[in-house]
Amino acid sequence: MTQHKKYVIIVDAAKCIDCKACMVACKVENNVPEGFWRNEINVLGGEDGSLRTEFQPSQCMQCDDPSCVAACPVQATYKKENGIVVIDPEKCIGCGNCVTACPYNARYRNPVKRIADKCDFCEDRLDRGKEPACVVTCPTKTRVFGNLNDPDSLVAQMIKKEKLIRIAAPHINTQPNIYYFEGTQLLDWAVTPMLPGNINMPQNFWKSKSSSKEG
Amino acid sequence: MSATKTQMISRRKFLQLSGALAATTAVTNPYRVLYALTRDKGEITPDEIREVFSACDMCFNKCGLIAHVENDVIKKLDPNPNSLKSRGMLCARGNAGVKQLYDPDRLKYPLLRKGARGDGKWQRLSWDQALDHAAEQLDKIGKEYTRCGFLFMAGTDMQSTFVHQFAEAYGSYNVISHESNCLLSRNRAFLDTYGVMPTPDVLNCKYVIMPGSNRFEALVTPDSMDLMTAKGNKSKLVVLDPRFTKTAALADEWYPIKPGTDMAFFLGIAHVIISEELYDETFIKEKTFGFEELKEHVKQYTPQWAAKETEIPAKDITRIARELASAAPSAMVYPGRRSSDYEDSTQIRRSYAIVNALLGNWDQKGGLQVPKKIKPGSMHIEAPFYEDNPDDRVDAGRAQMMFDEEGSFKHTRDAVIEGKPYPIKGWMTYKTNPMQTGANRDKTIEMINTLDFMMTVDIAMSDTAWMADLVLPAPSYLERQDPLSAFLAASTCSGVITRDPVVPAMFESKPVFWIVKELAKRLDLGEFFDFTVDDFRKAQLKKIPQVAKALKEDGVYNITGPSFGIHKGKPFKTRSKKIEFYNTRYKDKGIDPMPVYKQPKTIPENHFRIVVGRNAYVTQSASTNNSLLWELEKENTLWIHPKPAIAMGIKNGETVFVKSLAGKVTIKARVTKETRPDTVYMDTGFGVLSKGLTNIFGKGACIAQVLEDKADKISGNMAMHETFVTVTKT
Ligand code: SF4
Ligand code: SF4
Ligand code: SF4
Ligand code: SF4
Repeated sequence: MTQHKKYVIIVDAAKCIDCKACMVACKVENNVPEGFWRNEINVLGGEDGSLRTEFQPSQCMQCDDPSCVAACPVQATYKKENGIVVIDPEKCIGCGNCVTACPYNARYRNPVKRIADKCDFCEDRLDRGKEPACVVTCPTKTRVFGNLNDPDSLVAQMIKKEKLIRIAAPHINTQPNIYYFEGTQLLDWAVTPMLPGNINMPQNFWKSKSSSKEG
Repeated sequence: MSATKTQMISRRKFLQLSGALAATTAVTNPYRVLYALTRDKGEITPDEIREVFSACDMCFNKCGLIAHVENDVIKKLDPNPNSLKSRGMLCARGNAGVKQLYDPDRLKYPLLRKGARGDGKWQRLSWDQALDHAAEQLDKIGKEYTRCGFLFMAGTDMQSTFVHQFAEAYGSYNVISHESNCLLSRNRAFLDTYGVMPTPDVLNCKYVIMPGSNRFEALVTPDSMDLMTAKGNKSKLVVLDPRFTKTAALADEWYPIKPGTDMAFFLGIAHVIISEELYDETFIKEKTFGFEELKEHVKQYTPQWAAKETEIPAKDITRIARELASAAPSAMVYPGRRSSDYEDSTQIRRSYAIVNALLGNWDQKGGLQVPKKIKPGSMHIEAPFYEDNPDDRVDAGRAQMMFDEEGSFKHTRDAVIEGKPYPIKGWMTYKTNPMQTGANRDKTIEMINTLDFMMTVDIAMSDTAWMADLVLPAPSYLERQDPLSAFLAASTCSGVITRDPVVPAMFESKPVFWIVKELAKRLDLGEFFDFTVDDFRKAQLKKIPQVAKALKEDGVYNITGPSFGIHKGKPFKTRSKKIEFYNTRYKDKGIDPMPVYKQPKTIPENHFRIVVGRNAYVTQSASTNNSLLWELEKENTLWIHPKPAIAMGIKNGETVFVKSLAGKVTIKARVTKETRPDTVYMDTGFGVLSKGLTNIFGKGACIAQVLEDKADKISGNMAMHETFVTVTKT
């Protein structure tokens, strides 16, 4: 039986210096238009004169139970066997349902392409044998990328050795695939996902509709 | 024309280097390139994809990069993992390099000023017209005011060497660099202590004190990466800074030291180390000079005294001194980079150098190390002699110990304005922007207005170009062939790098090498530029042939081998042949032979001290207009503490006036506890005059407009933190 790849990223937020190299690298690699980003550095503190004390990178979590997939009326967004949640540009009608349905604010509506867009772990680069742009460019190597199903990969070893956590949004555990170190002082960037018309997503709504093939 | 020749040679070489399959046409229509940028990936056939080595030029670090090129359009710059210096990283600016190349604000053809200086009225010239005009001015000014009546200023760039060579052939020794607006006082201090500017081994250091430096934020250098690795290995980082920088945010301890009192802190540290005998006696005996004098000198500087000056508790100063000594020799006071802060900046840095010497960290793992720089050869020219030239540089005698090869921007500008000791009437600048980086912008304008002719070679219409009479467009680093350049970082990662054009030069841009060569021809100096960049490289490689292979295969040459324990038994290049606590040359010149503390000037009532700096996405004024980086910082702000802000009724985001003796600006306030109540802060690179910088024009304020132009007495380095300002509501 051939085993599928399961791509994940492990973030050691304590290493992040908020240099934003990953944000610019991602923007160039993926032609992200002005005013939008596929990834972000969340800052703890800094507002109203308080001190900034931690910098936490975030991006699409390539969830195993993705609420964005459940919210898409035309099945344009789906999870691939390698774990990456993608958007089919031919099918996407740009309705934006998935944008509000994501508990991690990972999506935006691309005004140039008029479809939804988000981090896809730089699939084009993976095809060319390269790691994601944000991963390679980072001065402090805050992100570690790899295939969790390969026991020799650094990510598989780190998952065994380190105390890692995943961040679940309020009400909804979409089974995210970005891991953080346990000591990380978590920020509340996870939001409550919504259905069109500002309707709260009912419990298990996304589970019943999710087309996750991961086992 | 020689330009085409140069380009074709470089082109061929570069095709060999990159192993490209597709040949490309020599002339490229820039608009086609810009259009091609927006095409979909699907249209590209694989044989049009190339990966080419180059070196980043978004700051002076020269990080190794690999350009991903599709159809002669650079799509992405990735780090070159072969570079030991950049270790597989490109910072935000490095990633934004594509936008320096494909920037609609780029200079496209030669421009001649039409209206008054700074009016922004231009006439397009052909290259022949432009070069003829420049040559005529160079000739005229040289004849009327001697060759030294023409000033040259080139920034940190791999082609600046050609500007220097041109100045030499032309006959002017009035050449200044950007460095006197930056780090010369630091260099002065360490040279005058160690005989060399050491490199800090942050990676293996167990205890780093970082006074005023912002290594995690101001510039990403190898030290930034090493500092994070060291942090992971439980090294301790103590930051002294009036501002809560990102480095402070990630430090183990942060002290918002009273600005200008760092010397008091380190004299206090020296006092503890010496009085408690926490030093290595053998090291002091064998390697240092003047210990007894130092011991006597620092008796007065108790931690209790230092606490009053610095506003850092005495018990912390004592504890830090002990911790530092117990981590020695893998402990250090980080030498830092920009030191253009106070009038006794060299002496302040001397106090850092002295504490390092007390820690015995010289040539040690985790200490200060011998810089390992490889020296490429050069093409020596036998410069003509011009009899009527004055005896010395125009800025001579204005600082006690200036670096002749760097000069002083501050003192040169004063000399030009005064016309003393002799007049200077011409100025050529290349890729440097003193209108933004040199404190007191009004004075720079005054200087320019005394000139008969000023020409600027740059990529975009900087504020300096905006004031010039003739503006010549240069290609970006991704479009030109450069000579080799040695770079020095931590001792573990020095090397050599070069550039070949990744894509053909856009618009009518021409490298400064070609420009000075053409000028030389017109001035009957052609014989001094009778070579190509290839010839120049050959001369550079003569004694280091191994470098060529590495550059071709890896895109970089790394110097390997041990970084410590390599100076054993060797003398120091100082007068005493030892590390000098006490400097007798200083004594001879009437300079304090050991740093004597002088209190910083008291901040007048209702005033603040203003300090300046930068963040990880801005390299001074050269990158603020880059649209990718501009998105991260659209304008700078004035950081002000809530205490005074509330007292004055200034709200976060409100526009305020900031006024000093040098000038007045308007800027939005950022009310934050991240600066001391007595200190306000501004980022560099905004408030431009140039309407050619369309993103940032009209945004934020210019530091040079409010900073007064004081200078470090010893080195002539600009002193930018000696300015007091008032902040008022608009
Ligand atoms: S729910 Fe959000 S984070 Fe999860 S896969 Fe969908 S877009 Fe990504
Ligand atoms: S993996 Fe690629 S698409 Fe995702 S955030 Fe990083 S650079 Fe952007
Ligand atoms: S590149 Fe790395 S250090 Fe810089 S902001 Fe991104 S994650 Fe943080
Ligand atoms: S530090 Fe950044 S801007 Fe400077 S050379 Fe390296 S990548 Fe370029």
